[in-house]
Amino acid sequence: MDYLYDGTYMGLLCCVYAHYYVEKATGIFREGEYQTSLFGKVYRVKTDEDKARRVYEAMEKKLGEFTLRRSYLAYLSNFPDKEMRLLRYLVFGFKQGRGFNNMHGHPDVFGVQEIEKRIYNERHRYLGILRFSVIKGNRDVLYASLEPDNDLLELLADHFLERYQAEPFIIHDVKREKAIFAAGGDWYIAPLAKDVTVQLAQGEEFYRALWKHYFESIAIKERTNPRCQRNFLPKKYWNHLTEMQV
Amino acid sequence: MFRMDEAMRKLKILADSAKYDVSCSSSGTARSGQKGKLGSAAEAGICHSWAADGRCISLLKILFTNKCVYDCEYCVNRRSGGTEKASFEPRELAELTMEFYRRNYIEGLFLSSAVEVSPDHTAEKIHEALWILREEFGFLGYIHAKIIPGVSPELVNAIGLLADRLSVNVELPSDESLALLAPQKKPKGIYLPMKQITETMAEQKTLKGGGNKFSTVKYRGQDLSYLNPQGGQLDPVKLAGADPTAVRAAGGLPVMAREEAARYGELRTYKEKFAPAGQTTQMIVGATPETDRHILKMSEGLYKTFFMKRVYFSAYIPVVQSPKLPDVFTAPPLAREHRLYQADWLLRFYGFEADEIVDEKHENLDMEVDPKVSWALRNIRLFPMEINKASMEELLRIPGIGNVSAMRIVRHRKMAAVKFDDLKKMGVVVKRAKYFITCCGKYYGDIDPEPERVRPLLGDGMIIPQGVRIKDDRADVIRGKLSDHRDGVQLSMFSGGFGTDGTEGGNVHGLSV
Repeated sequence: MDYLYDGTYMGLLCCVYAHYYVEKATGIFREGEYQTSLFGKVYRVKTDEDKARRVYEAMEKKLGEFTLRRSYLAYLSNFPDKEMRLLRYLVFGFKQGRGFNNMHGHPDVFGVQEIEKRIYNERHRYLGILRFSVIKGNRDVLYASLEPDNDLLELLADHFLERYQAEPFIIHDVKREKAIFAAGGDWYIAPLAKDVTVQLAQGEEFYRALWKHYFESIAIKERTNPRCQRNFLPKKYWNHLTEMQV
Repeated sequence: MFRMDEAMRKLKILADSAKYDVSCSSSGTARSGQKGKLGSAAEAGICHSWAADGRCISLLKILFTNKCVYDCEYCVNRRSGGTEKASFEPRELAELTMEFYRRNYIEGLFLSSAVEVSPDHTAEKIHEALWILREEFGFLGYIHAKIIPGVSPELVNAIGLLADRLSVNVELPSDESLALLAPQKKPKGIYLPMKQITETMAEQKTLKGGGNKFSTVKYRGQDLSYLNPQGGQLDPVKLAGADPTAVRAAGGLPVMAREEAARYGELRTYKEKFAPAGQTTQMIVGATPETDRHILKMSEGLYKTFFMKRVYFSAYIPVVQSPKLPDVFTAPPLAREHRLYQADWLLRFYGFEADEIVDEKHENLDMEVDPKVSWALRNIRLFPMEINKASMEELLRIPGIGNVSAMRIVRHRKMAAVKFDDLKKMGVVVKRAKYFITCCGKYYGDIDPEPERVRPLLGDGMIIPQGVRIKDDRADVIRGKLSDHRDGVQLSMFSGGFGTDGTEGGNVHGLSV
């Protein structure tokens, strides 16, 4: 039976619950992204906090903290079949018990391990390639925009909060139209329209120009190797990179 | 704030001169932020961009000045060279770093310098810039500072208290080569600060070597004569005289005013430790006739003696025409540099000894296959190894298996036998490993594991055809002047398919300054 859920993590955990207590899932889909099949039955999973909590607590107790973190990362990813991968992973885990994460070669474990690696890599990349601009406000605010493949906004917050202890900042996921607002050691995520306009502070253009200049000077001309460059820094990220703007 | 066009000019000249420095890593320090300050440091380091040559940009890599009183044969900034000269003011540099860091362009600062007036004069300027950055601006990001050979111990100490990582370049793989090409730099001037850094770190109990193989070794006042297998000039007894405490006892400090002393770290109770990310070094490969064996023995010595975090190699790119140097048309030995880095990894992460990688019979690294495969083929009697029985140390010796996959195999075995199909998912490079392993008793290679037959299948395309020359504007100009004869075709080494393998050392080539 195919499941439909509301796209929240809690909803996904309820699907795991239903898999055990209602009927086995053959596919799990977000509502609105499902194409009706002719033959299969469809079950709309209702998100229920108590059921989700039961699954969550079982995961914590039986599979450990590492699995919890890994599962949540899998949920944040953009893999089309992440829900089923996660379900199979958890089912295998409950059967095998603690330590199942060590079976790196097992397809069910590998399925989620692969997703986890992908999202961690993208997060790590963004720690480096996010570019902040100083924008005008009542006081200076740092603003950065990005379009990540995975929904990793919340994974970036702590790193930059640690770094910018004295300055408020905004990290804007343009694709998903939401942003982190952080100041004074605290942060929250709120919706922010795609086409928001920001006004640059004085001196911003100057440092952008300097940075571009540095970026060009540091490359060894005789070794120009665009393929190698794109390998490390795919073009899809260039839109938001100061040094790549003409 | 300094003027636009002036800033542009300085940045261009001083970044241009710094780009041949190899190291750019921002790893080794984990530091959390502090209230009201800017910055933190991530243990693993973070790359912020990739330049057009494919090299990562992590730190603002820049020279303080390129006005040099030295005249090293191989260097673009040599006194007799015609490069345009510029210098930063300490405050300018600190401001620039802050503004770049704030916008997340960089992870920190890599500050090197040519020798202006004297090593001490230059080091004082470097120190001043770092001081402003750390103490006045409250910068907590990463700082890598270059220590210029011959600088006085007090300044090394003071800079070390502000920087995360220090490096003194050994420049060339032997004392003879150093005397030939950089006569103003003395081996003693290079090894003294290295020793001081190592000892200071040992004193504060933070000394840890590179990789996972040297990091667990204990420091016991090492004998430096090891460094010099050819025998010669380094005298450990004399070196011992340079102990920083001895220098202080000998009256190095009291001449300074009290506030001055506070500033140089003597009276200050600074929270940060001395060079928490350790020290590194760099040497030029291919400008002089040393063998790979010599170079690797030397690196091993540097790891064991000074507990270096990294020893960087830079393939010699001819920038200067000199009778003492290879011809300007010589291609930089990029393939050799790549192999040396591979061997370096074997030393630091795989438990190999330099003597195993290159022995008396094989003085140079094999260019056809990587050093690990080369070793395995020479020691084929040890293979194939059974994946489910081999120890961690043995697994690390198998070509195609690295630290991560070996660890996964060991963990997996506790739950269930490892099957051949599992290997790929664990990160093993199966096409390489299959000739050296059995899995549950079965051999999976398509041919018998005989060195002569397996060898051609294991090459990694690193061979560069003989007679390839660099495509270089400068070389073209000089060539035009020297003769009217021209080759029809010039192959470019840099458009080739290598240097894209993701290892930090694998795609960096250049000169030190």
